[in-house]
Amino acid sequence: MKKKALFLLVPLMSVTLSGCAEGIKYEEHLDDYVRAMKYHENFNILQLTDIHWNANTSTLSSKQYLNKTLAEADAHIKATYGNDAKIDLVELTGDLFMLANAYHVRTFVSFFEEQATKYGFTYAVIWGNHDRHGLYNPNWLGAQFANAAHCVYIEPDDNLYGRSNFVINLTTDGTKEAATKWQIVNIDSGASFSETAISPFRDYDYIRDDQVDWWRKEHDKVGDGVPAIAYYHIPQDDNLKAWNAIHKDGASYKHKFFKLEGFADNGNERYASKFIKEGRNHNLKAAFMGHAHNVDWTVDYDGVVIGLGVKTTPELYFAHVDAKTEDPDMKEGLLSVGITENFDLIGASLVTIKNETTFDLEHLYLNERADGDFIKWVKW
Amino acid sequence: MKKLFDKENFVSRGLERGKKGQSIFIIVLLVLIFILGAFVFMNGLYAFADIIGSIVSGSIDVALKDSMRSWPLILAVFMVVWLILLLHAVYRNADEERRMKSIFKDGICLIVFGGISILYIVIMRIAGVYKSLVEGSPTSIYPLDSFIFGIAIVALGVLAVLYAKKFKEQVPYEVPSRGPIVTKARGLYCTFMSFWLLIALFGLSGGIYSLFIYDFIHGYAFFGIAVVIAYLMNPIFLCVWEFYYNDLKEEKKKEFLLPLSFFALGASVISVALYMISLGTSLDAPSNAGFGMFPVAFAASVNIATLLVVFAPLIVSIVALIKGILARKAK
Repeated sequence: MKKKALFLLVPLMSVTLSGCAEGIKYEEHLDDYVRAMKYHENFNILQLTDIHWNANTSTLSSKQYLNKTLAEADAHIKATYGNDAKIDLVELTGDLFMLANAYHVRTFVSFFEEQATKYGFTYAVIWGNHDRHGLYNPNWLGAQFANAAHCVYIEPDDNLYGRSNFVINLTTDGTKEAATKWQIVNIDSGASFSETAISPFRDYDYIRDDQVDWWRKEHDKVGDGVPAIAYYHIPQDDNLKAWNAIHKDGASYKHKFFKLEGFADNGNERYASKFIKEGRNHNLKAAFMGHAHNVDWTVDYDGVVIGLGVKTTPELYFAHVDAKTEDPDMKEGLLSVGITENFDLIGASLVTIKNETTFDLEHLYLNERADGDFIKWVKW
Repeated sequence: MKKLFDKENFVSRGLERGKKGQSIFIIVLLVLIFILGAFVFMNGLYAFADIIGSIVSGSIDVALKDSMRSWPLILAVFMVVWLILLLHAVYRNADEERRMKSIFKDGICLIVFGGISILYIVIMRIAGVYKSLVEGSPTSIYPLDSFIFGIAIVALGVLAVLYAKKFKEQVPYEVPSRGPIVTKARGLYCTFMSFWLLIALFGLSGGIYSLFIYDFIHGYAFFGIAVVIAYLMNPIFLCVWEFYYNDLKEEKKKEFLLPLSFFALGASVISVALYMISLGTSLDAPSNAGFGMFPVAFAASVNIATLLVVFAPLIVSIVALIKGILARKAK
């Protein structure tokens, strides 16, 4: 009898322990995933991505770099749109940490809280694959952002894939009830998964069907015609499809900036996400991500602008762009941005929502140099 | 089963009261240093894994910059491993001369490692690599904490050298037991044991950290529990080997090796099975529920580190089983 009980115990335990945390049903709680901000013309969204604070990071030096980036973006916005203009929203699109600990997280949050007060912005946080990769509990990390005064972060205990998926509706008066002019979609594109329990390799994650369904429902709620911009971390297969369409099939999509490595997407057709495809039916204007540090290539792919943000801070790895390169991809990138000197592919990306239908995109390359920093803005 | 724990089987049983107290003191110290070592090891591994990540991604310049900054963290791993070796030399070494030589040698190593670390931090501060002695990351007072750790290690090294010199002739501490000194395939033996020690250090810190960093909610509880068991299996096996098996009288060692290896094999098979079943229930769990425990594996997107930790007890128990069968045959 005891042996029988033991044999029953393992499967029973696996079912009990792995299936006990369903939480709320997203379909019934769509309002729980919504924050609102006040819409205005020239609404500025600064994307910082892949900051990668880790055990080797000098937080002192990194904060100095981030300070310069924020100051430059603020000055640029004021010079372009007038003194009243500012960074309205900072989108931190994942991999803020890697091999980090609680010290890094606390320092990071307190730094962004100070900057948010100084520049008057709100910041939204999206999970990257490496953000799970530290000596802290992922639930604790989520709580740090959820409790930060200037941070938009929503992580309901739900049945939706990913730790944090939410939308920021830009409404006429800044309340959730008012009419939405633009919708900013924030999606957790996951980390990685094993195909089976004995797979030697892990595949990069992708935006799952339930996440697409959730956003479709959120978008339907604000009205089909409302334009949307999405931010997530891991590029989906659309980036590579667009690249191949141009470079192999000769398609003439508008495209710009650099692709100096692979997109590091899942790469398996079986796991191709429906997000961009569905987005075309839901007025998705653009989707921006991070993940591949040596890429900021952007393309207008059948009506949706898809692009990687510029990697922020010189942590882990980044591309050194050589003005005299023979590499065809680097040459193509250099030609597209019109820069004629060597520089590193680090900085930030700025989206300006111009009015109720259009937006601008600019990439900032900012390199700290002993003889004066290299600063270059390049328009999309 | 009862036979396995008969007090008469153990060498330490025969020690006088005072010597037994000494022995327990050293064991407690060894365990404490082992726990400290586990955390230092994880810290060093984190710094190292990030450097490897930069190299793999082709950013040698970033890897060099990072390693310059974090060298004291990696050096600390060597220091703490040497400290374990030193205490182990005090605890178990049947040959007194060899023991004192070992303590002296390990003491010198500690002084050298600690000294290099202190000097390195001073030079890097003067050179401006460290913008402040408390510039932060991975702790709020890095590199000051590494500097203090270096001083402590040098002090312990000096103590060890003085101890070895003072008691060269008359040994004040009686050794409980030790297996015969390996002469055949010593290199292979030492490599296996060092590797096992590192896996056990990783397993212990992984096991302890997992309790705090694993997401035991969101459907990952079964996986979390299986991982904690798999991790802790490594230091538990090492402890059984060190504090149980090595304390057995010679004739009992031969007698018990086979049944012990069967127990070990059974336990490790259960642990591996639990891990595999739990992984099957949530395939994204390793990267979603506490990926911090797999530093190097993540950089390469492979499951090697996970499997290494999970399968290490299985390998150890198979080695013990083969040894046990051979010993039985030799009888």
